Amino acid sequence: MTESAVIIAGLCKSYRRHPVLKRLSWTVPAGSVVGLLGKNGAGKTTLIKCALGLLHPESGHSLIFSESAWSLDAATKARIGYVPQTAGLYAWMRIKQLIAYTAAFYPRWNDKLVQSLLEQWELSADQRIGRLSVGTQQKLGIILALGHEPDLLVLDEPAASLDPAARRDFLKAVLSVAADGTRTVLFSTHITSDLERVADRVALLKDGHIAHDGPLDSLKDSVKRWHVSAAAPLPADFVVPGAVRSHVEGTEALLTIRDGTPGVLREVEQRYGAAINVEDLSLEDIFLELHDDRVS
Amino acid sequence: MRPSLLLQVAPTSGVPIYRQLLDQVKAHVAGGHLAAGEFLPSVRQLAEQLQINPMTVSRAYSLLEEQGIVELVRGQGMRVLPPGPAANGKAREQAILPLLQHVAEKARQLSLSPQQILDRLKPLLKEESHD
Repeated sequence: MTESAVIIAGLCKSYRRHPVLKRLSWTVPAGSVVGLLGKNGAGKTTLIKCALGLLHPESGHSLIFSESAWSLDAATKARIGYVPQTAGLYAWMRIKQLIAYTAAFYPRWNDKLVQSLLEQWELSADQRIGRLSVGTQQKLGIILALGHEPDLLVLDEPAASLDPAARRDFLKAVLSVAADGTRTVLFSTHITSDLERVADRVALLKDGHIAHDGPLDSLKDSVKRWHVSAAAPLPADFVVPGAVRSHVEGTEALLTIRDGTPGVLREVEQRYGAAINVEDLSLEDIFLELHDDRVS
Repeated sequence: MRPSLLLQVAPTSGVPIYRQLLDQVKAHVAGGHLAAGEFLPSVRQLAEQLQINPMTVSRAYSLLEEQGIVELVRGQGMRVLPPGPAANGKAREQAILPLLQHVAEKARQLSLSPQQILDRLKPLLKEESHD
């Protein structure tokens, strides 16, 4: 039984009586790399802030390494790295000053790692922070969060202002954190392709709760698109078990199927004299399909 | 070619990465590009090279081990096993099946008859066999 990095239960949060999180429960297993997906405005940032104890929910609670997020002791705080969407870095400092300042807060600080990341991402220690572009500031924010080698690294839309090359570097950095399989990475994004390389789990935030949570591989294995072409026009009440979405037109049907079995496939083929072509779906397709589902 | 260079992944494909690796190793073993006794790259090495999560690589490797394609040699890694007696031809046929299904689907869409497809395919297969 592995420890959980984050356990959230019954979380409610609203802004001006508009509910954003509705009794949300969610567990992030330790040692996993989790991508939190959701449309713009779905509440990803709110969820992350509530999870870390940076924002007070109306009800519910969040535990980080089995401690209440609201009253983390210093030792547990030192195990967390957090990169907010907009890094509030001190504009008047130089990079090296900010690094020294940040390092002073942590009992363990890997200066070698920090220096090598600075070099790799082409940041010079003498640059003034206020003069850096948004993307460069984000890179610096990520480096600062990696410096103390946190057991839990939380990144809110980390790739949003990075160019493709920097994004690749960022993913590489995430992978190096994940490589030993003991540290946990949680990052929110709406860019599914970032997630597909590095994440081993995906969670989908929708309508105020986690609509899906599980290994990325099983998600891709379980959700498929079926192209059905039947011998005769399909009946108006044509249904297939596990269909998340279906579109029927004459002899043709386009179905999004969850956990479809070969047995069901053969049955549909036989009953309607149909040929069925099963198509694999990319995470982006699955994301869109699950967002539009009418069965939830 | 070195074993590690035989493997590639398309992360945005609908086929999970672990399954891409699994299929490719099987195909290379069946096709003789990976000979019995050769070692697969280490989990860490392959994850770094392909820039993917190491857990994905270990998942593919343990499935390969379960299916008797490779064996774990302590301290050395995953060694390719000789193919089973009946496995070879079957495995090679299995490997091309998804592509053939794709061709069949396209043929239906374009209303091409099986004969038309076969007529087009035959010369292509002959050309290849001269190589």
